[in-house]
Amino acid sequence: MKHLTPINKKARLVDQAVEDGHMDEVVAMQVVVGCASTMDPGWEVDPFGSVAALCAPMEADLYGCSDPCWWPAQVPDTINSYPDWNAKAASAQNDWRALQSVFPKE
Amino acid sequence: MRNRRPIVQTASRLGGLLAALLLAASPAAAKDYLLTGAKPDKLVLVDAAARKVERVLTIPGGGVAPSTIVPSPDGRVAYVINNHLGSVSGVDLDSGKQVFRADFSTTGEPGGDLRVRALFGMDVSPDGKELYVFQSPVRLLPGEYRVEDTRIAVYNTADGVGAKPVRLLPAPRRIAVLAFSKDGGTLWALGWDLYGLDPKTGAVKETHKVLNWTRANHSPPDVLDIWPQFEQAATLSTPYSTARTDLAATDPGAARTGLMTLDLATGRMDMRDFEDTSAVIFSSVISPVNRTEAYSVYTQLSKIDTDGGRLVKRVDLPHTYYAINISSDGKEVYVGGTACDIGVYSTDTLDRVGQVEIAGCPDQGMASLRVIRR
Repeated sequence: MKHLTPINKKARLVDQAVEDGHMDEVVAMQVVVGCASTMDPGWEVDPFGSVAALCAPMEADLYGCSDPCWWPAQVPDTINSYPDWNAKAASAQNDWRALQSVFPKE
Repeated sequence: MRNRRPIVQTASRLGGLLAALLLAASPAAAKDYLLTGAKPDKLVLVDAAARKVERVLTIPGGGVAPSTIVPSPDGRVAYVINNHLGSVSGVDLDSGKQVFRADFSTTGEPGGDLRVRALFGMDVSPDGKELYVFQSPVRLLPGEYRVEDTRIAVYNTADGVGAKPVRLLPAPRRIAVLAFSKDGGTLWALGWDLYGLDPKTGAVKETHKVLNWTRANHSPPDVLDIWPQFEQAATLSTPYSTARTDLAATDPGAARTGLMTLDLATGRMDMRDFEDTSAVIFSSVISPVNRTEAYSVYTQLSKIDTDGGRLVKRVDLPHTYYAINISSDGKEVYVGGTACDIGVYSTDTLDRVGQVEIAGCPDQGMASLRVIRR
């Protein structure tokens, strides 16, 4: 926890619980409360430190990664919060112009 | 003479009828069909030899991305995870009607609403009577979301639309593939390790170590596999990658790629390297004709000699594909997933010998690519 600093009461309670040994085992929520909880950073470089072995083209990979929350940071979450984000863009390669930004709901 | 001719004719007709009946009853008369999904809510049945989409079926309440697809043993119904990973639908491949449906999440329970999603792992028992779905539940409480234990929900396929689980089996976390043994006595579950579960109770009967292997001078192997492609050879296979810890990281031989195989008839599991890592691989399939031949896919198609542990041939593909399957005669492999086409390749030469494009070009994304005989 040395890289994280609590900024509110609840976070300080978490810190305290860690110090007191009262934390349960941490388990991933996977996709059930929002893709961002998976903290999967997406594709930046391939295993060889380059980009040639990334999916090609990028559009071939977009939905295969984002629909099951594998690619959470860059696109909306179609499992929970924005289920129809790509509903009108069945082909990432042909319909990408229909993919819009989303904004928090009131 | 007058009587003999009709007898010969009758015998000839009977022979013809018998031949026709035998042909109809013979497995040789059945054809290979490919089954895939397409966004947002389609199931696609493809006549493999004709390179033709036979029919496109709509999944009711399907969401935006069909995921794991499991055909019933008789090839009549396709079970598909859909509705934003929150449901499974069984669609009759002839009528297009939804004949089975289970929605996973529950509301209104005293303990709070339960949001349940199914990521990938699903299979049907060999008798077609029970459907097994790996699920991740979270309890939505007023002040917190509480992660519940992962589980395998068992449904009676005969319960039709609105089916509820008849059993909830405990299951290890991170299960990505479920595969029944041929005799139905073991439900194999691939996660960090490969668990052989009792399908009645969920008890772990045996474990083949994968991530927890103890191979000297090797890092724990990394496996990414969400594609059920074991039906043709009754062998589950998946690529893995590992690193030699006794070599410098800069050594070309330090990164190794191999293939894990599990014979669903015998339960025998093997993990064997076949090359110094030189390509990314997502999924693989074993030939039903020559079980030492494996084919794998990503942006390259590879042919692998599993017995000798060597790469036989590799060719570039026009784009990345996630999924791969193989014809019953072992002469063609089909690559799918990602975009809207299925590529057909000769297993002999790895030449592209055909392709099928889904009308309107919807992405297949993460949908499974299955082979059924009809």
